[in-house]
Amino acid sequence: MGRRFDAAYVFDFLLRLLEYFQITMFIVAASFLLGMLVGFLVALPRLYRIPVLDRCCAVYVSFFRGTPILAQLFLIYFGLPEWAGRIGLDLSRVPALAFVILTYALNTGAFVSEAIRAGVGSVDRGQVEAAYAVGMTARQAFVRIVLPQALAVSLPVLANLVIGGLKDSSLAFTVGVMEMTGRARTLGVATQHFIEAYIALSVIYYAVSLALERGFRLLERRMLRHEPSLAGKGGRG
Amino acid sequence: MSFDLEFAVRALFLIASALPTTFMLTLVSTVCGLVIGIAVALIRLNNVRVLSPLAAFYVSFIRGTPVLMHLFLVYFGLPVLIDEAGSWFGAANLSVRIPLVGFVLTAFSLTAGAYLSEVVRSGISAVDRGQLEAAYAVGMTRGQAYRRVVLPQALAASLPNLANIVVGMLHGSTLAFTLTVVEIFGKAQLVAAQGWNYLESFAAAALLYWGLTVLIEHLAARLERRINRFAKGGVA
Repeated sequence: MGRRFDAAYVFDFLLRLLEYFQITMFIVAASFLLGMLVGFLVALPRLYRIPVLDRCCAVYVSFFRGTPILAQLFLIYFGLPEWAGRIGLDLSRVPALAFVILTYALNTGAFVSEAIRAGVGSVDRGQVEAAYAVGMTARQAFVRIVLPQALAVSLPVLANLVIGGLKDSSLAFTVGVMEMTGRARTLGVATQHFIEAYIALSVIYYAVSLALERGFRLLERRMLRHEPSLAGKGGRG
Repeated sequence: MSFDLEFAVRALFLIASALPTTFMLTLVSTVCGLVIGIAVALIRLNNVRVLSPLAAFYVSFIRGTPVLMHLFLVYFGLPVLIDEAGSWFGAANLSVRIPLVGFVLTAFSLTAGAYLSEVVRSGISAVDRGQLEAAYAVGMTRGQAYRRVVLPQALAASLPNLANIVVGMLHGSTLAFTLTVVEIFGKAQLVAAQGWNYLESFAAAALLYWGLTVLIEHLAARLERRINRFAKGGVA
């Protein structure tokens, strides 16, 4: 299984993998931003209990939380063009990256909608009443008063979703997208130094995870700075 | 007709034949992971010298890297370590005898161990300190106190998180296909490739996972209700 371990390769691979860092980060960022949008749209019918639509959203959330992301990726990457072909649509030219981002956005959306729901639930009802009392419309009350507080409360969950998205992005190589994991695989095959390639890759993922974690913790502290009861506790992993 | 229902049903039954492998992967890695997790949690909670920082790094590293990395690191790294150790004892190429599934289970157990150690840790800290003191007071040793008093309560407290990890491991087991282990997802690929019906086979596989996930969540909720029957807080 490959050649003898050679630590010099780890450093070399580290630099060569970093060339694909931006593609990985693009997948993470694009799918998270789209996922936020999807999650927001999916959370609304459930928050306002819109009949029928809220049921559909619940099924959507249950499906994307209840199936492996890899199965979702394959279902969309292989299944969608196949289905489109049967109704006379040609999707064969669409790049694999688009399917990857679509899958991750839909997946993240399901989790985001739950986070938003929990966040909104944690905002005191009096806040809405106070907003109405000063003459805000329902929409103004939601956008200006409830949503900012809900987002602040659900920030730790959202942070975990971003870090989870980073880790899930490693699966994109299974449908042929050349990001860091895909590159590590080709480097391993080309040089027969697999373990060095994967050590280098793990170091990068680990470093990015730690950096994201730290960044989000700072952001969280900033967003909750007016809520001493929450921010004062500290030590939240 | 844009969805071949007949093929989907046929695929569902074909794919279901791989259920035992998925069950095995999920179960073994969760159970092994729980053993690792409890050990790591106890090491960290008791601040065992040398081991505690190592355990902290293990947890942080595993939680900070994709499961796929654990799989590849174990698959490509473990043989090197084993053969190196084996050559000391004059046994060459020991690693060839390890079946593929062995690597997968090792990797998944390490993954589950790190996540479960956090679950166990938060569970143990949820147990009132007085419980441990009371156990000491009636003459239990530390081992007895943990085994009989603290851990059962800690596990009961962390049941919802535990169920989440089991679901996570169920979903993670799909990665085994990258090492050509045929579980539900691997089987779905085989079925799909044979009939050129990717949509129906992956839909069938997704349906199976969905069902299993809902089942696990349902069972966990029932178990939780049962366990918490006697755990009434307060004074009444």
